[in-house]
Amino acid sequence: MLFNSLAFLYAFLPITYLVFWRLTGKMPRYVWLAISGYVFYSFWNYKFCALMLFSTTVSYLAGRGLLRWQEPGRRRLCVIVPVVMDLALLGFFKYGNFAVANLNEILPWLGSRATLPILNLVLPIGISFYTFHTITYIIDSYRGVITPTRNFVKFAAYVSLFSQLVAGPIVRFRQIEQDFERIDRADRTSDLHTGWSFFVIGMLEKVLIADTIAAVIDPALARYAELSTVSAWLCVLGFAYQVYFDFAGYSDMAVGLGYMFGFRLPQNFDSPYKATNIADLWRRWHISLSSFFRDYVYFPLGGSRGSRLLTARNLMITMVLVGLWHGANWLYVVFGAYQGLLLIVHRLIRARWERLPQWAQRSATFGLWLLGLAIFRASGFRMAGALLETMFTWHAGAAMVGASALVVTLALAALLAHWAPNTFEIRHRWSPSWVASFAVLFGICLFVLYGARPAPYIYFQF
Amino acid sequence: MGTSTGTEQGRRSVWQLGFVIPCLLAVMGLVDLGLRFMSIDPLTFRAWEALLRNRPPGAAFEPNRQYENARSYGDLAALGNLPALRQYRAERFTTDALGFRNPPRVLNEEVSAILAGDSFVVGSGVSDDETLSSRLGALMGCVVYNAGSDAGRVIPDEILSVARRLTLRRRLVIRLYTDGAAVPVPPTHGEILAARLAARMPEAVRVAAGRLRGFLTVSPLQSLSGRAWKAVDNGSMLPNKYAASVVKATLVNGDPMLFQATQVDNFHRRRELSLGYWRWLRDDLKKSHFDLFVVLVPGKYEIYRPFLVNRQPLHPGTGDYLDRLERALRAMDIPVLNLTPFLSAQAARFLERGEYLYWLDDNHWNVRGTALAAAAIREHWPLAETVCTTTHSPAAQTP
Repeated sequence: MLFNSLAFLYAFLPITYLVFWRLTGKMPRYVWLAISGYVFYSFWNYKFCALMLFSTTVSYLAGRGLLRWQEPGRRRLCVIVPVVMDLALLGFFKYGNFAVANLNEILPWLGSRATLPILNLVLPIGISFYTFHTITYIIDSYRGVITPTRNFVKFAAYVSLFSQLVAGPIVRFRQIEQDFERIDRADRTSDLHTGWSFFVIGMLEKVLIADTIAAVIDPALARYAELSTVSAWLCVLGFAYQVYFDFAGYSDMAVGLGYMFGFRLPQNFDSPYKATNIADLWRRWHISLSSFFRDYVYFPLGGSRGSRLLTARNLMITMVLVGLWHGANWLYVVFGAYQGLLLIVHRLIRARWERLPQWAQRSATFGLWLLGLAIFRASGFRMAGALLETMFTWHAGAAMVGASALVVTLALAALLAHWAPNTFEIRHRWSPSWVASFAVLFGICLFVLYGARPAPYIYFQF
Repeated sequence: MGTSTGTEQGRRSVWQLGFVIPCLLAVMGLVDLGLRFMSIDPLTFRAWEALLRNRPPGAAFEPNRQYENARSYGDLAALGNLPALRQYRAERFTTDALGFRNPPRVLNEEVSAILAGDSFVVGSGVSDDETLSSRLGALMGCVVYNAGSDAGRVIPDEILSVARRLTLRRRLVIRLYTDGAAVPVPPTHGEILAARLAARMPEAVRVAAGRLRGFLTVSPLQSLSGRAWKAVDNGSMLPNKYAASVVKATLVNGDPMLFQATQVDNFHRRRELSLGYWRWLRDDLKKSHFDLFVVLVPGKYEIYRPFLVNRQPLHPGTGDYLDRLERALRAMDIPVLNLTPFLSAQAARFLERGEYLYWLDDNHWNVRGTALAAAAIREHWPLAETVCTTTHSPAAQTP
């Protein structure tokens, strides 16, 4: 079920909301949140609920083990076993066939005639997100950052919290632990307007901006070989804003829903297109993911404490893993490696870079990001190569259908992404005229949703 | 002063997104609900959608309805959102008390055959007196009952349920099978049970169930929004995302013709025959003393592919589904008539005059195609003698 679907807006949300606030006491609310999370998840594929329950149970038991045992050996076991299990599940479903396909390419080189069968696997939606939720819980428990909970239902409610379940943000237990503790004293009205404000803005970002851009660039990119140079640039530029408003829109809706239920979810996008260098951009883009890799991969590898070479190695490993997290495809590995390379180069030329005027830093950062997105958006290396080649050598061609609508939308998107404050920078106290404007735009979104099937979010596939 | 501040605060709390947006959702929901009580006829471009809405279980359409539209057009023009290629025509569509497309008087007359199948039987795109059953009836001087429905797959229990309410002169089912329709498989026990249950329901309950289903599943607001979308996704303001559902081809005489993309794909791949359904249909009908006669109808693409500019080449083992099915049915002693050779020859003849057997903007045959099909059935198979006068089983002949 998508946040931008009528089933969610007219059935799931009102029922979940009304019952939640009707209940009193912690336990009933935990139970209700857990149930609603599983119901929400089952709309995609109810069979995978068992997988989520398994992952939840294993992590919960690991937390109980960490509470109980103080011996280093046992505590290490309490971390290694569940993390390996979680990663094995993720690896099997997400990277199983990728590994098999690559092994089948390699085996003939090793003189083997064997061919491994491609498995008929369906990637459980959101597995990359809830697996990371449970991993952060286990590692933070081990490190003593949090005290593991003894309450299984509370933990199940945290893992399956519907607002962050399928596409993040990757909320760490410590970030909403207090809200869970205060769940029985939460005030329904205090953050209601803020919640709806986030939700409405997120919906507008998704339906009016991201989906409009997608409506023009998706058909054009499907015939990428026929693109002119101008169209290729428009498509890549369009994708840059589409992916931003799609995911930032989703994150804003998730944050808004969190507020409606008394949870303060962390910021996931901090105006990344205002970044002045690539490291700055990654601090602002999909913050919950980049901070996960920073805290659980980059720092344990040594971070920037070693030599330049070691730091470069750590950056490259981390960013390749970030790329691979997006999907089982060598293109994502290349995307990650490209980002790693940019980060390494930036570290080397930081002093000179900072002497550039700020507009130049921002423009160059955005330009470099665009090149990465041309790889990210491609369906294969052939497309990535063709797209980059078309962008940098002159190709005449027919005008794109919907180019005018695209240009207008891109202008609005650029204005919002590069200059306007983001949703965490505004106060969400709107004058009646603003409220009326939002209501009109939200009404348009609703009308759109009635007639067109809701477009899924890009990050659902990851 | 206190009252004024209170009013001010009240006004402020009303003008908050946490109040306005849920209200907006509620209003939109109420509008949707309210519109569901109204007729959707003004929002439809043909009878099909309008009359399917309140269809009771076991019926093809809403019973006892008449739908008229002076500017109806083809399903493919609608599917592909191609208004420039619409062929406007008048359509009158009448249903009887059982919910099938027949004049109401049919229920008081002696019926010589039941014509079952999909939209080609129903007569999508033609008026009441131009359907295949009407044409056959007129040619043979007897009544052929139109039991066509959107389901396409014929379940004997549904036929029997209809037959029980008719005065039958002859127990014959003419089963029209169209190339492009899904390969039929025998229904599951659940489907048979549902058909039997529907047949046993009291009339009032069936009608109420149909209305309830229509109320819950058909949203006029959704149709309105869909129309608005199609106006925007018109291929100039925004790309036409619907266009991929149809194939726009050009005939050798320069006329554009639309085909459904899935049917083109189906034609060009090898489809395995599934004879279990036909065996089961014959045996099940036989148990109730019904004879079965199968008429195979070629899809539009099969008929017009030879006359297309830049046509796709045909690979060995493809494009011969109906021929193989015809041979298999004959081997099973099921009487069968394949209309493909006849309609292909006629299509070539009429094309020279710039006339067609199928609508240019629709999957279905037009008035001429229907009339020719009826004549072919009449000419190549002595239906009139066996159906309208004698009680012998029909025997199919090669056209």
